[in-house]
Amino acid sequence: MPRSATLAKSSTLPEFVALDMTNTRLTSNSIEVTDALEAIETYFENGWSDGLPVVPPTPEAVTAMLEAANLAPDDILGVEPVKGAVITAEKAAINAVMAGCKPEYMPVVVAAVEAMTQPEFNLHGITVSTMGAAILLIVNGPIVKELEINSGVSVFGPGHRANATIGRAIRLIVMNVLGTSSVDGLDKGTLGHPGKYSWCIAEREDRLPWEPLHVTRGLDESDSSVTVFSGLSGTPFGEHEANTPERILDAFAQRLYPLGPGFGEVIIVICPEHAAHFAREGWNKKQVQNYLFETARKTTSEWAAMGLPSSTRDEADNDSEKADEILNLLASPDSIIPIVAGGDGGAWSMVIPAWGAGKRSTAVTRKINTNG
Amino acid sequence: MAPNDNGTTLRVLDPTATQSIATDGMAMRPDSLAGKRIGLLTNDKLNAANLLDAIYDVLAERFDVSSAYRVNKGDASRPAKPEFLADFSEEVDVALLANGD
Repeated sequence: MPRSATLAKSSTLPEFVALDMTNTRLTSNSIEVTDALEAIETYFENGWSDGLPVVPPTPEAVTAMLEAANLAPDDILGVEPVKGAVITAEKAAINAVMAGCKPEYMPVVVAAVEAMTQPEFNLHGITVSTMGAAILLIVNGPIVKELEINSGVSVFGPGHRANATIGRAIRLIVMNVLGTSSVDGLDKGTLGHPGKYSWCIAEREDRLPWEPLHVTRGLDESDSSVTVFSGLSGTPFGEHEANTPERILDAFAQRLYPLGPGFGEVIIVICPEHAAHFAREGWNKKQVQNYLFETARKTTSEWAAMGLPSSTRDEADNDSEKADEILNLLASPDSIIPIVAGGDGGAWSMVIPAWGAGKRSTAVTRKINTNG
Repeated sequence: MAPNDNGTTLRVLDPTATQSIATDGMAMRPDSLAGKRIGLLTNDKLNAANLLDAIYDVLAERFDVSSAYRVNKGDASRPAKPEFLADFSEEVDVALLANGD
């Protein structure tokens, strides 16, 4: 196993031993180190980091994390369906501390683990695939303000502890608890994905022309939620001239066409400046989905000219009737997941396609238990 | 562990989990391939069937195998369903698997 091999190389390191903590129910092995710097280096040496320093997970810090979510150490948060790998509350909490989470972030981490271990998310597939998807977390509801999760300026950028550490906790859990790492491990992404360090945002609910994402997905507005999405890298685009919903969506379509016909699931991130045009015209989400589904389409020969997919080129060459067949870009109107996020200034929106043409992994939303 | 200048040390926890995943291991190796039905199970990737066919051609040339039985599990990103594997095992004596991007 790669991890034990890494450990074996580090012959100067002390061994982790069974924990003797009479006042806790933690069962993880532990190690005694001189100070935090030695702990950080030890975790690097053991291959337990994402390449950045981690916060040393002391029993006290881990216990605080568990208490904030009202969890027992041996509570099972999820089981990854393919490997049957179990994620306990204790292991999730250890990794959340390492990521730099505050204890009050733990309920978000818990809901994200519950969501990503649902079979329809296909966590194992998206994590090991050469295609290199990352797990995008989208948080909704009152907890966004409470935890100060950024939904505004530079929403995908750095500088916000909640965004950075909640997303990082999820990746550390995948690497350390599920054992799926790109360093001598099962993560075989050809190019990888910067979102595999951390990828957590909130929806910009104060700029929505319609109901928030979690309400669309069946929860109450007063609920808080996290939605997990197997995202490939996003493609931003500027559209500063269009000032109607139709023309803005036409601009989206131009960035969606390279995905090819019949695409199953894609997030469109509508910036506040674009969202304002939908609000002014009174559009709802269903109209957005229907417009893109109905208007974004091409004939097989047009798709073939784009090389999408490769097989249509042959079909168009050999079958003139087939060449005129019209294929929609989207598998269905529901293939579009609109969210609003980003700063007020600038007409920059983004498309984020799902892994596997959006057909082999489905976004999952889970309510966050905020009662502790 | 030597304490730091303040005379204290720090105790920290192992973030990894030892997963107890049950496996059945490899099947028993047959004494001979003579008369054996060779199962060729692809994962639906583009070149998986080509790879298996090429291996089968070599086996058929060298050994007196009975036949090839070709199946595709139909989804490269998920494991084959247990009933699919049960049916497959009924039809073959030896199985070859391939991932072929």
